[in-house]
Order: sequence, then C-alpha cells, then structure tokens
Amino acid sequence: MKKSALTAGVIAAACIAGAAHADKLDDIIGSGKLRCAVVLDFPPMGMRDDKNEPIGFDVDYCNDLAAALGVTAEIVETPFPERIPALMSGRVDVGVASTSDTLERAKTVGFTVPYFAFEMAVTANNETGIASYEDMKGHTVGAVAGTYEAIALEAQVNEWGDGTFRPYQTQADVFLALSQGQLDATVSTSTVAQATVNSGNFDGISVVGKAPFDTDYVALFTNRNEYGLLNYLDLFVNQQVRTGRYAELYEKWVGGDLPSLVVPDVYR
Amino acid sequence: MFDYTFQWNQALARLPRMLDGAVVTLEVAVLSMLIGIVFAMILTLMRLSDSRPLKAIAATWIEIARNTPALLQIYMAHFGVASFGIHFSPFTSLLIGITFNNAGYLAENFRGALKAIPDTQARAGRSLGMSSLQSFRYIIVPQMLRISFLPMTNQMVWAVLMTSLGVTVGMNTDLYGVTQDLNALTFRTFELFAIAAVIFYIITKIITLGARLIASRLFRY
Repeated sequence: MKKSALTAGVIAAACIAGAAHADKLDDIIGSGKLRCAVVLDFPPMGMRDDKNEPIGFDVDYCNDLAAALGVTAEIVETPFPERIPALMSGRVDVGVASTSDTLERAKTVGFTVPYFAFEMAVTANNETGIASYEDMKGHTVGAVAGTYEAIALEAQVNEWGDGTFRPYQTQADVFLALSQGQLDATVSTSTVAQATVNSGNFDGISVVGKAPFDTDYVALFTNRNEYGLLNYLDLFVNQQVRTGRYAELYEKWVGGDLPSLVVPDVYR
Repeated sequence: MFDYTFQWNQALARLPRMLDGAVVTLEVAVLSMLIGIVFAMILTLMRLSDSRPLKAIAATWIEIARNTPALLQIYMAHFGVASFGIHFSPFTSLLIGITFNNAGYLAENFRGALKAIPDTQARAGRSLGMSSLQSFRYIIVPQMLRISFLPMTNQMVWAVLMTSLGVTVGMNTDLYGVTQDLNALTFRTFELFAIAAVIFYIITKIITLGARLIASRLFRY
C-alpha cells in the first residue's frame, strides 16, 4: 500500500517536473505545429504566388523542417523589422527569414549555423554611368532598411564621407526609386538583383558588378536560451546539405553555382 | 509567454543618436505647421472668394488632404511626383506630405472658426470706416486664430506623430527612422521603441503644455 502510494507520488512528481522542463522543442512537437517567421517581400527567398500563397526558398525550408519534426508548418509573414518582436512575443517559434548572423544581433537572439549565403551585387540606373562598386562614391545610394547590405552600405557611405544613403522599407520601393532616378545605385543580394532586372518590371537599370562585402551568411534563429531547439536546427541545416536537399532547393529557386556554407579555416 | 531579457544599457548607449533624431522630427513638424498655416489661410480665402475655379481648387485640396491616408500623401510626394521626373529628397517629400495634410485640416479649422464669428463683427468694422480687407485683417483674423488655436495644437501633435511615416520614403534621420536603423543593427526592439515612445510622448506633452501656457497669456480676456 505504502509502496504504491510512494510510486504514484514519484510518478506524479516526475510528470510535473517533466512538464516544467518541457522546452521549446517539446512545445512544438506537442502542439503539432511549427510557426515560422518568413519575410515574403524578399524574392526568391520569400514571396507570394498568383494565388497569394507564400512561396520561396525560405517557405520550402520551413516546410522541410516541419516535416522533419513531424508537425504541420505555419508560415507567419513578418516584415524585416518585425522578426524579433514576433519571436519574443511568442507568435512564431523559429525565424526562417534570411537573417544575417551578426554578433550584435546574437546578443539578443540565438542563431544556428548558416543555412544560406548571399553574394552582394551592385545595380545601377543606366543614366548615371556607374559601372562598378567604387563608382558609387559621391552618389545617392540605397538599400532595404534593416538588411545586412543596408548596414554595410551605410557604413561605406559614411567612410567615403561623400554621397547619401537612403534606406527604403521594401525591395520593391528600392528598385522603383532606382528606376525613377531617385537612387543612382543600390546594393542587394545578387539573387534579388538578377531576378528583378530580368523581371522587366523596372526600366533603365542593370546589374553592374559585385559588391566587395564579406559573404552574407544567414541563419535560422530562435530564442537564445533554447539550446535543445538550436541543437536540432543545427543538425537539420547539416542534414539539408548532406541529403542534397539544399542543392535541390537552390536549383529550384535561384540556380547557378551553389554557395558553400562553410567558412574556411575555422570551427563553428 | 514573453521570453525576453531587457538590457537597457544597450539601448541607452544609443540615446544621443535618438535625441538627434528627435530634433529632426521637431524640425519637420514645426516647418510643416508654419508653412501649413500659410497655405491654410490661402485655402480659406480661396474658399471665401467668388471665383469658382479658386473655390474648386481649395475644395479639392481639402477633400484629398482630409479623406486620404497621410501615408499615401507622403508616398505620393516622393514616388508619385518622381514618375513625372520631379525628385525630392526624403526630408522634402516628408515635409511636403505633412504640410499638404496640415493645410487641409487647418483650412477646415479656420472655416469652422470663421463660422463662429458673427457677421455683425465685420459690419461693425466697416461702419467704423475700415475697408473690407482691413476689417478682415484686424477684426476677423485675430478672432479666427484665437478660436482655432487649440485645434491647431492638436494638428501640431498630429504632425509630430506623422513624421514617423517618413521611413516609407527613405527618411532615416528622424526619430522613428533612427530607431528603426538601430533596431536593425542590434535587434533591441523593445528597449529602443520604448525609448522612442517616451521621447514622442515628451515632445507632444511639451507642445500641449506650451500651447496651453501661450493660450492663457494671449487670450486672457
């Protein structure tokens, strides 16, 4: 009698303790739903199709992750500036939002290993005669506010001490301003630049060269203290490459040379 | 569940830049009010005039300014006019957009104030030998400004808050633009925007209190 009461007590205690220790990974598995923050104004990583359904590399990546976890994916559209509030207020579980893993940001959120890497390209208005990155000196240049390239370009303009930097809220606004001649040139990810110029939606602009920024590695992110989930995400990124799914998705959405996700000569 | 540790020192270190932004915000708001009042006066006079085209222009301006979002007006002042080859800097675009909006609202305020002044006032002026312009200038306008003074402060507060829409046209030197820049850099969203909110609150509070003080001095009788 006494023994079974004790056992029951121990089991009950274990259950309570177990519940108290459930981490975010458990929460996701338990709820059967994975909510991803995705930026849908950033083709080809995130955008909407004719039927207004979210599509893109990041959307597929989130779906893969949900499938691996055995849950259903829910895409939560979050513009660039709203990624962190969405995570902190518990509206999303994971950010699959082409987020550059800067040290400054890592003080606030937890990043995985890189899952994608961008090269930066300069796109210029044809009338300006800008033909390279250095030619931008002294001109009015712009980029999407809050992105890696915007931060780097603004720093460069300040260093040159000549010319103006203007951040716009969306990629579409940047290219609109560029084709109107309000901006002379912009720096964006080469994938976006190529896709936009080829789309033919904007006249009088062309991709003129590479921007000599460090490769922009982007990572998945979640709460800084969720080691269980971060660990799982790291392995997931690794498996995506190992199984060839990364190459497959890259070919589907971007095409061309597959960027390496490995930084030479250093561990992570 | 709200899982976040506030680190105020990280955000407070950027306070000087935010205060510089607050100055720009105030600059835009004050300029847009001053120019807006001038335009509002002109619009009011146009509405009072006997010329149909002038009336129509004023009515159209006021209708658009009051019945479309300020965001649209600012966006148009940047991207809209650019499709005709006219380029304004973000600062100018924002200023034009808010001024356009201010003028429309203020013109309506002025019209309401004019309606509140009995016709007999102007006639009393005329009977004292003033010309119609003089009686308008010395009798009607001062009373009009007095009646519409507090609604004008309202618009001033609104102008300060509208500056936050400048980010849509590439503005990054005003308080909201600076805050958003810093947010992208650090991801300290909650601290930075909380500080920005407090600064906005202080600015508008100073404006309303200052206006009340001025009103109690100017309009004692």
